[in-house]
Amino acid sequence: MKARECNHNWRMIHVAYGYIITEKCSKCEIISTYFTFEDRPPLEEYREGDHYWNVVESAQSFRFDFKCASCGQTEKFEELMGLLMCIGCDKKCEVAKLQEILEKEKTWVYVAFGFLPKASHKQLSAEKIAMLEDFFNRRRNSADSRIKIVSQELVADYSLCYGKVIKDVNMLSLTVPEEGAKQSTSHSGGK
Amino acid sequence: MKLQEIIEKLNLQVLTKSEAKNVQGVFISDLLSDVMTSANAGDLWLTVQTHHNIIAVANLVNIAAIVVTHGKKVPEETITLGNRYHVIILSTPKTIFEIASSLNAIGLKSQ
Repeated sequence: MKARECNHNWRMIHVAYGYIITEKCSKCEIISTYFTFEDRPPLEEYREGDHYWNVVESAQSFRFDFKCASCGQTEKFEELMGLLMCIGCDKKCEVAKLQEILEKEKTWVYVAFGFLPKASHKQLSAEKIAMLEDFFNRRRNSADSRIKIVSQELVADYSLCYGKVIKDVNMLSLTVPEEGAKQSTSHSGGK
Repeated sequence: MKLQEIIEKLNLQVLTKSEAKNVQGVFISDLLSDVMTSANAGDLWLTVQTHHNIIAVANLVNIAAIVVTHGKKVPEETITLGNRYHVIILSTPKTIFEIASSLNAIGLKSQ
């Protein structure tokens, strides 16, 4: 089947685990993010051109490509840093406004983020964002609810955003369970 | 298998509002990355993670319910998000191995 006639059925392929490193320049305070397969980020400040980079965070994540199960077309997703679920924290943000509208029909908004600084990295195209949305909606296999994925360009101010990009960092639960204690909840017992 | 049947048979505590759901299989991992790449819609997800991003991932993949094991305390903000996004969170003091064994015994397998 010709790719342009195909109603693509995307599958995740070439899944590879690695790390998203976040660095900050101590001189100009610009933030940089990148994906690496190296499990040890640079621990000491290093110079790159005019920048003096310091590691802020190292998070486990993955990268992947898509392949259409029908026509065989492949697409790379190297531009994607991660997805963030909108929790509607900033009422002035276009994403939060969209979430408020779509939530009534059980459609949940996610934001696709590229790497920083934006000017130095190729960002996800609208076509690729649509592919991601189609992939996850097919995979969700739900007639009751959907997800909507939007560009990071819609986020008013990421520094005000309480949502977190999905990546494996700060996930450890250090709570020691109390012996025999049940967690209090207003919904115990189910429906 | 119906989620409510599993809740009752395994004596799981329901931390969020519950809904009638069908459970298709079981997925075990403590990495969000694993769930995003490998879990299936309708899976019961066993984990010790309690960070609110478990809701973001479970919703993205349409997980049937999250089972937080080892009696880990789930933060209130995670429960609140679960209620808002219709992601059911269950809790048990048992280990992942014990719960997985029980699920296997009642006939639930990986998809």
